[in-house]
Amino acid sequence: MNPLVQLRGVSKDFRGVLAISDVNLDVRPGEIHAILGENGAGKSTLMKVLAGVYQPSSGEMVLDGKPTVFNSPSDALAHGVAMVFQETNLVPAMSVAQNIYLGDEKLFNRLRGLNIQAQRYLLSLNFYVDPTSQVSTLGAGKKQMVEIARAVHHHARLIIFDEPTATLTPEEKFHFFNLARRLKEQGIAIIFISHALEEALYLSDRITVMRDAKVVATDDTRNFDRDRIVQAMVGRSLSGELYAGDKRKARPMGKKILSVENLSMGNTVRNTSFSVFAGQVTGMFGLVGAGRTETMKIVAGVLKRDYFHGGTVRFEDRPVRYRTPRPAVRDGIVYVTEDRKIEGFFETMTIASNVQLGALATGANPLTVVTPRNARELATAWTKRLGVKAIDADARVIELSGGNQQKVVLSKALIQKPKLVVLDEPTRGVDVGTIVEIHNFINELADSGMAVVVISSYLPEILALSDRILVARQGRVVEEMDIAEATESRIMYAAVH
Amino acid sequence: MAKARLSQEGVVFALAVALFVVFAATLNNFLTAGNLIALVRSVSILGILGLGMGLVVIGRGIDLAMVATMVVSLSWVLSMAQAGMPFDTALVYGALLALAIGLASGILIAYADIPAIFTTLAMGLVMYGSGRAFLFQIDVQNSPGGVDWFDFLGRGAFLGLPMPIVAFAVLAALVALVLMRTRFGRFVYAAGDNALAARITGLPLRPLIVAQYVISALIAFLAGVVMAAAVSGMSTRVYNSTMIYDVLLVVVLGGISLSGGRGSVRNVLVGTLLVGVLLNGMTILDITYTTQNLIKSLILLLAITVDSFINPRDEQTSQQSQGDI
Repeated sequence: MNPLVQLRGVSKDFRGVLAISDVNLDVRPGEIHAILGENGAGKSTLMKVLAGVYQPSSGEMVLDGKPTVFNSPSDALAHGVAMVFQETNLVPAMSVAQNIYLGDEKLFNRLRGLNIQAQRYLLSLNFYVDPTSQVSTLGAGKKQMVEIARAVHHHARLIIFDEPTATLTPEEKFHFFNLARRLKEQGIAIIFISHALEEALYLSDRITVMRDAKVVATDDTRNFDRDRIVQAMVGRSLSGELYAGDKRKARPMGKKILSVENLSMGNTVRNTSFSVFAGQVTGMFGLVGAGRTETMKIVAGVLKRDYFHGGTVRFEDRPVRYRTPRPAVRDGIVYVTEDRKIEGFFETMTIASNVQLGALATGANPLTVVTPRNARELATAWTKRLGVKAIDADARVIELSGGNQQKVVLSKALIQKPKLVVLDEPTRGVDVGTIVEIHNFINELADSGMAVVVISSYLPEILALSDRILVARQGRVVEEMDIAEATESRIMYAAVH
Repeated sequence: MAKARLSQEGVVFALAVALFVVFAATLNNFLTAGNLIALVRSVSILGILGLGMGLVVIGRGIDLAMVATMVVSLSWVLSMAQAGMPFDTALVYGALLALAIGLASGILIAYADIPAIFTTLAMGLVMYGSGRAFLFQIDVQNSPGGVDWFDFLGRGAFLGLPMPIVAFAVLAALVALVLMRTRFGRFVYAAGDNALAARITGLPLRPLIVAQYVISALIAFLAGVVMAAAVSGMSTRVYNSTMIYDVLLVVVLGGISLSGGRGSVRNVLVGTLLVGVLLNGMTILDITYTTQNLIKSLILLLAITVDSFINPRDEQTSQQSQGDI
């Protein structure tokens, strides 16, 4: 059978960082194709290239045997490629019928006519959704149906799903599988990204595994099993060079500084329990949706746990419930964000002012006098220790490289003299040389007796840094292991459902 | 970008000087002592209000209730003084009223998360309405005679400078000191630059927001005191004028970005200068009130547009190019 869409040697880079590199992929009409891989493997970027959100930096896309370029998602839709995003693109205040025909309206619409038309159309797809109901009142599963209906209405021949089952309940998941099969019978091809291996094995005809921006395996699903997929997901060539493979000896556990019991928050943190010890690096691994960031944000007062049955957090043997990060910072818990641009640094300010603000935040008197000079003195001490390279001390943080920005954010946090520091993806968007520096620095912190928690989605990083490893899945810590007994496959096994 | 911002200040200052020279050369009545005093008087009140507005805008807020606060608190003070209350006591009550207004706006903005622009707009209307209904009955309140320091503040001079401008200068120095040299000042910049980062760093974000509106309300009260002294009274017509937009014009034209975290008292100074010269020149040119408003509003629109180009309020534009891998 001739493929519907083919990607030939497609790459996409963002400011020199390759998100996908030399990818070859073909999608056949009427197949269900699963895309698997770790966080950051390039799955989402690949799908967005297919859907016209991004244009490839090099390589070509062939549609029906002809090279094609999609300039925008609507252009892709005109060619029959639709994408259903994790966050739905529906207009919440409109009815189901209005959403399906959005952008297709005639000059004058009869609402009743539209509803009848939509009803017939939905029934023809076997979708049981009331066309008059407002979209905001629907559950995740029904919203997805409306999105699919809209795609099919636009004669989509390929529908791309980004983690379609992540927000669904088990019944809704089951229903989604049926929907996918029905679409397949109509000759529509489906690609879906998933973190759940069982789903992929159960539903798909073919599986493609991505790792480090490349496609590492594509095959019929019947030739795959759990082991082969996990092997493909983690087996890295790069890891040997950057992360020394020799097994270090774990640092001994210090005092138990943090203990979390039955912590819950909405749907993201579900009844999780674990402890953190001083003088050690505790690594936290998990896939998207594992709730690692949310859990540690609750500990640091950035988020609040459920009021009822929310569990307890004990810091230094004292139960704490912070409403804002301020009391947590003053008690000695500091959280360093994974998204430094959104909530990490102050972009219009100099390096010195950024670091100084960290120190100022721990004090109380608003009229304390500060001078540019004490800012600079504070800042130079820390920037020297971390080796921030900037053209001059008055450079604004926004003008620095990702690695140096991260060092500034680290300095701002560590100047607060925390007893427990949480580093969320400390090397994301950081160049290779700086990664080594940051890793050395993290080790120094633990050696000095601080409790360090490193959240990372990159297995080699977890293995290189941690003394103890916590693996989270679906909102709770499910496994805990010492570095001596940890292997990539063992961690990955615990992390996937 | 640093260069663009520096030059914006310079450009505004140069414009103000150029406009001043042109008016001085072409208009007969511009360079007279009487006119310059009038200019300085109007400018200093705009400038004082601009200091409060500037502080709030640096913290990424806006206070549209400033003129209402000024008019209502001072009208109340004057009417109480007319009714026989000692002037100083009346002033204390007025200051407490301004403080309460600022506290109310601040709490609504910080704790109820209502956008500042709507909160302060509504707060201004509420205060003006309740002032007219409960606190004073007539439109124009006259200043009480015989309070020496008050008369001096309005008509006196210090080292040859009229007192209103001295008051403006002293307040400007004070606000500059607070912004640049105190923990509170650095916090205002931080919160205006990136509120989320400020929160995570451990700044008391919500109390900080409340404090900003309390300060701007108190500054509005002080502006009212200077105004009442300078023109011997307070008229409710001031509230219905375009004054609040003139204050915004001072701040934005001076180069304090509406996207927060950028600017300083220096920007308020150059903005005040330019707007003051402009308003005075247009009045002498006998441009009608309506046309003046049109010109001012067009300049305001232009200034806001330029600002949002130089300092985009939303970071999304820069994030789109980065993408998520």
